[in-house]
Amino acid sequence: MSGFFAELSRNSHAVLVAVGQHIALSVVAILSGILVAVPMGVLLTYHTRAAKIVLGIFSVVNTIPSIVLLGVAMIFLGIGYIPATTVLFVYSLLPIMRGTYTGIKEVSPNALKAARGMGMSRLQMLRLVQLPLAMPSIITGIRLSSIYIISWATLAAFIGGGGLGDLIWMGLQTYNFNMVLCGAVPATILSLLVSFLLNRLIKRTSRHRREEVAA
Amino acid sequence: MVHFVNVTMAYGAHTVIDNLNLHVEEGQLVVLIGPSGCGKTTTLQLINRLIKPTHGDIMVNGENIKSVDPVELRRKIGYVIQEIGLFPHMTIKQNIEIVPRLLGWDEEKKAARTLELIQLVNLDEKYLKRYPSELSGGQQQRIGLLRALAVEPPIILMDEPFGALDPITRESLQDEIVSLQKRLKKTIVFVTHDMDEAIKIADRIILMKDGKVVQAASPKELLSNPANEFVEQFIGRHRLYSGKADTVADVMSADIICAEKTLSLIEAVALMRHKRVPGLFVVDDENKLLGKVSIEQIRTSGLSERDVLSAVGIEQIRPVLETQSAKEVFDRMEAERLDALPVVDETNSVKGVVTRSSMVRSLADVVWGNPS
Repeated sequence: MSGFFAELSRNSHAVLVAVGQHIALSVVAILSGILVAVPMGVLLTYHTRAAKIVLGIFSVVNTIPSIVLLGVAMIFLGIGYIPATTVLFVYSLLPIMRGTYTGIKEVSPNALKAARGMGMSRLQMLRLVQLPLAMPSIITGIRLSSIYIISWATLAAFIGGGGLGDLIWMGLQTYNFNMVLCGAVPATILSLLVSFLLNRLIKRTSRHRREEVAA
Repeated sequence: MVHFVNVTMAYGAHTVIDNLNLHVEEGQLVVLIGPSGCGKTTTLQLINRLIKPTHGDIMVNGENIKSVDPVELRRKIGYVIQEIGLFPHMTIKQNIEIVPRLLGWDEEKKAARTLELIQLVNLDEKYLKRYPSELSGGQQQRIGLLRALAVEPPIILMDEPFGALDPITRESLQDEIVSLQKRLKKTIVFVTHDMDEAIKIADRIILMKDGKVVQAASPKELLSNPANEFVEQFIGRHRLYSGKADTVADVMSADIICAEKTLSLIEAVALMRHKRVPGLFVVDDENKLLGKVSIEQIRTSGLSERDVLSAVGIEQIRPVLETQSAKEVFDRMEAERLDALPVVDETNSVKGVVTRSSMVRSLADVVWGNPS
């Protein structure tokens, strides 16, 4: 243990830089994932058949081992930050899209009937009724994506994406187990932290429900 | 206020509304009723353009709704549904204020109106901060009603609004809607399949079948003059007996207590005691009515037990005929403060008796239906 802390203090600057890179990688991937997947999820609710196809395709993509996809991305996009982020972005889409889709599909038809009957436009229904009611489900999707992305971002190091994976990779190469921990521990903490914060957000957005939302 | 002119609505080959002509006057509470599939809900949803007619024109407030933006139209028409449909993520206050919000009212105006509304149904202000899931079904539907009233629309559509509530809550909400209607003078189109409800709240009942109006009339008119057999069947036990059937024969009891004029007083008194009546109708040996004798008369006559009834001095009584109207007899009993009147046929033969209790029983049958 003391070896780990010694290693950590010796490499504190490198670790901080790696954490920064890791966050940058993940945040960009997830944010762009949200920007694309939420509207896609919404659009899919208007077309159930298309939804089945699109969600099916993404399910298949997400079963491809990330290391393979990183390899493919490297072939087409070269190495570095861009291909790494791109792959992570693609992975982030499915959980968010699915969360949005099911969240909106599960909105009570009675609420929609009332909304339409009182004179809401389609957009108003989406903004005032569907999205707020789907929010817990959407954030659950985002949380799921975030946990995946933060852990998979460690693999970005393989194609020169940087981040905490660099430390893990270097540690493995040099049999320096403490250096591996210097990458793994911050990555785990990051993941737990994001998960915790998003869980709180889920609870907040579903406070109107009587039953407790499962963590 | 609402006019349907030759409106037809069809899904492919299936005609739901068949050349419907309808007229709802301002300030009236009109109930659309009929068996399921008769098109009553479709008719309602045609009014706020949730459904578009295949043919025909619908005028709301003098405007053909074809030429009005449906979203704009709906904001001017209150809508209450059986499923209530409060927004679960909004507080009661936010739910009530949803249409004002769509119309861009400022906070102050919204808050003032909400307060006014919640007082209208005697709900405590504390409920405003709560979420719908914290309220009972009846309270939720009260809020559903307030939400529909929020921007004071002249017309309110209600689609079986109390159908999912328990009977006691339903009754109290029916009372509330009647009293609100009296105070606010809204035009209300109300769909139900419950005849009790329709009779209780309607100014006018429109009975539909297969997308057509079978009869449109006031509850009283519908019950006393059903247009055809279907209407009769549909209103069933609620049917009022029409004038022709409403005769003395309908309200009398055959159980008249008579005594022949030759009966001894001791037997007469025993009979009265046995039947627990204060007097007897007296007949001759051919069962023709002679009059009546009361226990009081026998007591004060000073006659002996072996004397016969005819010796007491029979009090003349004007009988009623079987064929007379029950109403006349009822009025006479009221006016003369009589407990019982004998019923005879044209030959003065005794047929039965009309008493206060036989009257009440017959009236009860009219109101609640005859179990036999």
